[in-house]
Amino acid sequence: MTAAPASASAAAPVPAPASMRASCAPVIGEAVENDPRVVTLGADGQALFTSVLRRRPDRYVEVGIAEANLVGVAAGLARSGRLPVVGAMAPFLVRRAYEQIRLDICLPGLPVVLLGVGGGLGYGHLGPTHHAPDDIALMSALPNMRIYCPSDAQDAADVLRGVLPPAGPCYIRLAARPDPVVPAPHGAADTAAPVPRDPDGVRLLRTGADALVVATGRCVAEALTAAEALADDGVQTAVAAVSCLRPFPATELRALAAGRPLVVSVCEALETGALAQQTEAALTDRPGRLVRLEVDHRYPPVASHEELLRFYGVDSAGIRSAVLHHHSNKGS
Amino acid sequence: MPLDRLVDPAERHDIARPEPPDAAALALGARERVLRLAHDKPLHLGAALSMIDVLAALHVAVLRPAPPSPDGPDRDRLVLSKGHGAYGLYAVLAELGVLQGDIGALPGHPCDGIPGVEAATGALGHGLSLACGMALGARMSGGDGRVAVVTGDGELNEGSNWEAAQFAAHHGLDNLLVVVDRNGLQQEGRTEEIAALEPLGDKWRAFGWHVGEADGHDAAAVSAAAHRLLERPGPGVLIARTVKGRGVSFLEDDPAWHMGQLDDDQLRAALAELGSGAPRDTGGAA
Repeated sequence: MTAAPASASAAAPVPAPASMRASCAPVIGEAVENDPRVVTLGADGQALFTSVLRRRPDRYVEVGIAEANLVGVAAGLARSGRLPVVGAMAPFLVRRAYEQIRLDICLPGLPVVLLGVGGGLGYGHLGPTHHAPDDIALMSALPNMRIYCPSDAQDAADVLRGVLPPAGPCYIRLAARPDPVVPAPHGAADTAAPVPRDPDGVRLLRTGADALVVATGRCVAEALTAAEALADDGVQTAVAAVSCLRPFPATELRALAAGRPLVVSVCEALETGALAQQTEAALTDRPGRLVRLEVDHRYPPVASHEELLRFYGVDSAGIRSAVLHHHSNKGS
Repeated sequence: MPLDRLVDPAERHDIARPEPPDAAALALGARERVLRLAHDKPLHLGAALSMIDVLAALHVAVLRPAPPSPDGPDRDRLVLSKGHGAYGLYAVLAELGVLQGDIGALPGHPCDGIPGVEAATGALGHGLSLACGMALGARMSGGDGRVAVVTGDGELNEGSNWEAAQFAAHHGLDNLLVVVDRNGLQQEGRTEEIAALEPLGDKWRAFGWHVGEADGHDAAAVSAAAHRLLERPGPGVLIARTVKGRGVSFLEDDPAWHMGQLDDDQLRAALAELGSGAPRDTGGAA
């Protein structure tokens, strides 16, 4: 677990939103240069592979718009001693190629990293064909699969650096568009947060004794915004970010939740296998209230990513409202 | 047979591969093994018998043993995409000495951990993509490893095959050979009545492949056509004309024997047609 700022820091300039694809591309390029076995594959989307294409174009395989074949070819390469890094649009990667991911990569436990661009609701206005709120649920039903949902561009690069070169099946949800930058943890350590930064652990980004918001992916920035507003409401809210959903850092989360009367989990995903379910399992016999904010099956309106977060109640307003409601209804 | 882990490369080095028999003798022994297994339990009998001559020809005369390490990354590989023919593959591997022990205990579709099995298959339409990756991997390694894939004909209904067909041609995978077990039947009937494949050769040609045809029960013809295809630039497909259930008259060309079990009389009659004598135990190396 990493940690830990004082609450409500002094106002600092807000950095511009940053792209995960831009931050990950050089990490992939380094991995290709550092290990001759690493090979990359894309499905008519090359933004993740700009560095590879510039430095080692012979280590990029263009498969075209054919996700089932993309994953099958990656599995064949892995069986030939290669370490494939696969990137494609998340909705098509996880749904169209699901059987290949399960049978050809996960069952034999092959070393393949899958990068799903635009998991969750990231493609906003493009509509439900391009949304993948089910990516985490689908990946969590697979054997041997590690699952990451980084919170911003820097986190995505850190996570990716941690899993390269590939050692087993791994899925990383990446954002479709530039996302808000999550401030790095700083300041005095929380009593329950003694460990240095670890992409597989829990990052405590803000302290507060009244409630703990546990968030993943894009919702981490929403949780921090909500916590600022809640401080003005008189509710001191801690915010913890979890990027590794599988294996889930349950022990760390239990330690953080200890003593806090209210825990709210917030995740841009359908419930199965995602943050809320994992958090609930981790805190199963713990006293105190647990509230789950997550995406449901309602048909989405034509809307931007941010508007969709609001529609499903996993934005800063939804988090604030949930904390206020349950904080003021203790024990009810 | 260990099925709960990947093959340990160290484990196969000690298995001495005997001098390859001629393909016809190998196929005869494999057919006998499959018939005896089908007496013990129901299996995809027609599909296994249909491709045995093709597998025998590929193993004996097309794919090269890869000493000193049979698990080296550049070895020649065979992917059985029509995984429901598993017992046909196991029987051939047993005849070759690659598999030992009771092959009847092995799963109904090839799984990881079985010597001679390059990939777990059975969900149709996966093998060709896997083989494309293997062929590309061999090329990236600078080796000359060949990859052969045996597909069913009904299996070609699966669209992923045609994604892979585009890929292989685009990337010029000249170390890749597909053999289509063209027996004309799939589970519920004739391929041409369920989802017509013809003109099948033209379809592959239109995708940029070299196409050959051969009698799939003539090992010499299969081998010669396979070599011709492998010598040409780009991927090749051999349409092997076969008869489902080949070798036993009452099993042949009948969708009812897609999957089935032989009773005592049927086994006796089937072995008599092969000239293999009376039923006996299936356990151990026959």
